[in-house]
Amino acid sequence: MTRVGGVAAVKRAIAIVTLACALFASGVRAEAPPEKTRILVWHAYRAAEETALLMLIDQFNAAHPEYRAEALALPYDVYPSKLSAAIPTGHGPDVFIFAQERVSAWARDGLLSPMDADAAMMPGEFPEAALDALRSKGALWGLPLSLKSVALYVNKSLVPVAPVNTDEMVALAQKLTDPAQGRFGLAWEAGDFYHHASWLSGFGGKLFKEPEHRPVVDTPEGVAALTFVRDLMRKKHVMPEEPSAQLVATLFNANRAAMVINGPWFAGEIHGVDYEVVSLPIVSATGLPARPLLTVEAALVSATSEVKDGARALARFLVSKDASILRAKIGRQVVATRSAYDDPGVGGDTLLRAFRKQAESAVPMDNTPAMLTVWEPYKRALTAVLSGLLEPDEALAQAQRRLNAIAKPMPPPASPWPLLLLAAGGILALSIWIRRRPVRPDAPALYHDVRRAIAYCTPAAASILVLVFIPFAIGVGLAFFHHGEGRYTFVGLSNFVDILTSRDYRITEPMSFWFTLAVTLAWTVANVVLHVSIGLFLALLLRDPLLKFKGVYRVLLIVPWAVPNYITALVWKGMFHRQFGAISALLATLGLEPVSWFTRFSTSFAANVVTNTWLGFPFMMVVSLGALQSIPQDLYEAAEVDGASKWAQFRHITLPLLRPALLPAVILGSVWTFNMFNIIYLVSGGEPGGATDILVSEAYRWAFQRNEQFGFAAAYSTLIFLFLLGWSALTRRVAREPSPEAA
Amino acid sequence: MADVTLRGVHKAFGDNPIVRGVDLEIGSGEFMVLVGPSGCGKTTLLRLLAGLEQCDQGEVLIDGKVMNDAAPRERNVGMVFQSYALYPHMTVRENLAFALELRKTPKAELDARVNEAAQMLELEKLLERRPKQLSGGQRQRVAIGRAIVRRPSVFLFDEPLSNLDAALRVQMRGELMRLHARLQSTMIYVTHDQVEAMTLATRLAVFNLGKLQQVGKPLDLYARPANKFVAGFLGSPGMNFLRGRVGKGAVAGDGFSLALSPRYTALEGREVIAGVRPQALTLSAQGGVRGEIEAIERLGTEGYAYLRTKVGTVVARFEGGGAELKVGDAWGAACEAASVLLFDAASEEAIAVQP
Repeated sequence: MTRVGGVAAVKRAIAIVTLACALFASGVRAEAPPEKTRILVWHAYRAAEETALLMLIDQFNAAHPEYRAEALALPYDVYPSKLSAAIPTGHGPDVFIFAQERVSAWARDGLLSPMDADAAMMPGEFPEAALDALRSKGALWGLPLSLKSVALYVNKSLVPVAPVNTDEMVALAQKLTDPAQGRFGLAWEAGDFYHHASWLSGFGGKLFKEPEHRPVVDTPEGVAALTFVRDLMRKKHVMPEEPSAQLVATLFNANRAAMVINGPWFAGEIHGVDYEVVSLPIVSATGLPARPLLTVEAALVSATSEVKDGARALARFLVSKDASILRAKIGRQVVATRSAYDDPGVGGDTLLRAFRKQAESAVPMDNTPAMLTVWEPYKRALTAVLSGLLEPDEALAQAQRRLNAIAKPMPPPASPWPLLLLAAGGILALSIWIRRRPVRPDAPALYHDVRRAIAYCTPAAASILVLVFIPFAIGVGLAFFHHGEGRYTFVGLSNFVDILTSRDYRITEPMSFWFTLAVTLAWTVANVVLHVSIGLFLALLLRDPLLKFKGVYRVLLIVPWAVPNYITALVWKGMFHRQFGAISALLATLGLEPVSWFTRFSTSFAANVVTNTWLGFPFMMVVSLGALQSIPQDLYEAAEVDGASKWAQFRHITLPLLRPALLPAVILGSVWTFNMFNIIYLVSGGEPGGATDILVSEAYRWAFQRNEQFGFAAAYSTLIFLFLLGWSALTRRVAREPSPEAA
Repeated sequence: MADVTLRGVHKAFGDNPIVRGVDLEIGSGEFMVLVGPSGCGKTTLLRLLAGLEQCDQGEVLIDGKVMNDAAPRERNVGMVFQSYALYPHMTVRENLAFALELRKTPKAELDARVNEAAQMLELEKLLERRPKQLSGGQRQRVAIGRAIVRRPSVFLFDEPLSNLDAALRVQMRGELMRLHARLQSTMIYVTHDQVEAMTLATRLAVFNLGKLQQVGKPLDLYARPANKFVAGFLGSPGMNFLRGRVGKGAVAGDGFSLALSPRYTALEGREVIAGVRPQALTLSAQGGVRGEIEAIERLGTEGYAYLRTKVGTVVARFEGGGAELKVGDAWGAACEAASVLLFDAASEEAIAVQP
């Protein structure tokens, strides 16, 4: 077939693909019209809570024959993004259940219907705090279903009378603590701001400065609360160090933590402990109660719903007294509706009643996007103080600086035309180059059956286009936008400029791009060197013909590779725990002090490297072993006769002959390690203070922990891509040097 | 140049004895060929000399020094492997220079020696190539060159020609002989090919089942083999063996009778194996050995006929094209009395008689 014919076939194939896409798209749009009026309910409930919801929907359908309500359960992590995408196009739910944290943003973006009238139909049923949580710009946007906050769980066999104030609580805790035995008076996830917020309010602190509603964390009250918790852990030693949710549960179940601060979900994790739940104590220093953060799960009605009346009726039904009683009894929810507690089965349930009581005094968690920026800086401050790295005032000052950087003002909008023209010019130049490229002389023979070749390639090409190229192009495009308040604004190159000039931070500080790049490079080099040297060393041992049980060793050494890496990361994270970790225990048997791994850059970085080396060496070992086995034994004999020592044989025979196999593995390994998000995120979590974060984990934080700055994160990712592109181009050149295989 | 001595050398791999008590003296400058069938221990013996294996018993001496525990590089031997074992990632020049570089030889001397070896083996134009870009014969020469540049006192060759085609093998044999003439080094050469052994060796050592059978000049071994194994191993086609009894002036068995030289008269009545080389046994209508033609090999000016006799197949020579011969015809064969050798029927040792 001629070249012209080939081009025609390509054009035909493109037309077919386009047509198929169009058909597919129209098929998606052409939904069958509902016969009965359908009410779609989205939720993320599981187990008992889901059962209760489904029972209630059945009841509602029985009582309202004109409607057909249907429930759809979504995975929690994709839930918010699906809602944001589906509701504006009219494909979302009519009613959906979600906590208040995004209510402001959704109300602003016009996704929600106001519910003031509906709440007014049930006066006095909902605590004011719960309604506050669902208000934005003066309107109410949902009906509260259930209330979640932490409270104090006490082990009744150790604490007969629950403490009323912190003086009592601390005295009691000191009496019940015996660190030598691993017994503690108190335990909670002290490194997490959700739990810490109770003390902040108890010391009279507030998170936002009004009226501009700006998060302010370096307040005297904040310092006092942090000092109080720091002293409990580091001076009075009544709390375990580095307390994770799992550690708290383990200690409480083993009667080794007398008092625990946790939410209603914790009740399901308690086994064999006689306990009761009471409100958090009064802070003796201020006389104010410690007020936990209140999360309100609400029934929300979509603004684009076509059955708003039915949807609102369903939402009202879900919060009604009878429905609430069922949700409390079957779903074990701390329901918001006051009259439900008149039912003896609900009001007599001590756990539900205790959490309901605590909710009355809780502080509704802010429902604006600004709240989402607070978690990470505050968590870093907590970790730094609780590990003894910083004083409370220093840590909070640093957190404030971090918050200011995250909440940086939007860069000025830019005109997209220069960049678009540049891109169009580039595409034009590329297509001209492709057209004018000389045809290979053997092309007709190679491509004689173009039509069939295209037919075979099309499915793969289409999948790659949809799964790789389009998301990639969108990702790169995003890097030129600023995302804030739900809107994307074109800002040209300013994201890149901000990143590369390290605008808000000195380049020696952890949040600067250059610092993170240096850490990433050190991380990659350290890992690859260790992976290759350990892998090669083990491969050389395994090659020894006199070694017995070779197969057994080989399998055992490959096991770290076979285990999913996040599981390995969590196991190592546990082993690095200062008080309870296996490594501390090992150091103790050697008579050494336990190390607080994540408080210093060097040890934290080392912990990451050790974990990733454990994961990485088997691959290099397998590659080396295969390559070693292909080196003929007589080369070593010849070298021996030639006068080569064992070391000279390794240097002049083994290494050069391993090179063709090892080099691609090293390139691959370096790219994997460069982007090894799991280990960084799960083992050190960037501690101390974000210093051990690498570029990918930093990009993740910009996207998901710092005010949804998707554009900024995309710019980070684009820079990572460009860096790795340059690296692979460089290494390809090195790899192409003549090797014995290529010769 | 050095002499090499083996004294009572034993070597076993596990329970499997490979070399079973070998004593051998190899003089300085000799071209000693170790020959024998596969598995006779000749390669193992060479590796013991190189130091790639350690012997279980006995002594290995090079230049009068016991070398049992010396590493290969302390022995100053050069070895050419059957597979050549060229370093695939190095050019020919680097292959040749490798051993000298390890010894930190000065650059000028190193270049001189590499060039000298390259010239000797006609490798000058190939110096920048890698082994994969060479033909079999060229690789072979590089392998030899690698041994030459080091100027070892002993060269060890392990079946170096077995991977070459027949024509190349003949050519390389000639080159090896010239090389020996030029270097005058001690060379020890292992092969299972008796033609190579006969043509190359100044002295020949025949091995079987881990034991030295006989050592001597090639033609001495051919003419006066010490036992039936050596007699059968050297020469092509192999010697005919006929089991019989010595009678008056002849040896006779089932369906055959061969005249014997008078010096064997003392052996009358003894059970023996008579050995006659096919070249000495002439096909004739009469003849003391009777049989039916089984197969005919016509080589042009002469040929060999395979006769099925009552004591086994016997090969006899004929002159000319042998047009008159037909498979299935009954023929006889005869030879001069002097060319009949006798071996003891039980021990298979040659029966030596004073002439």
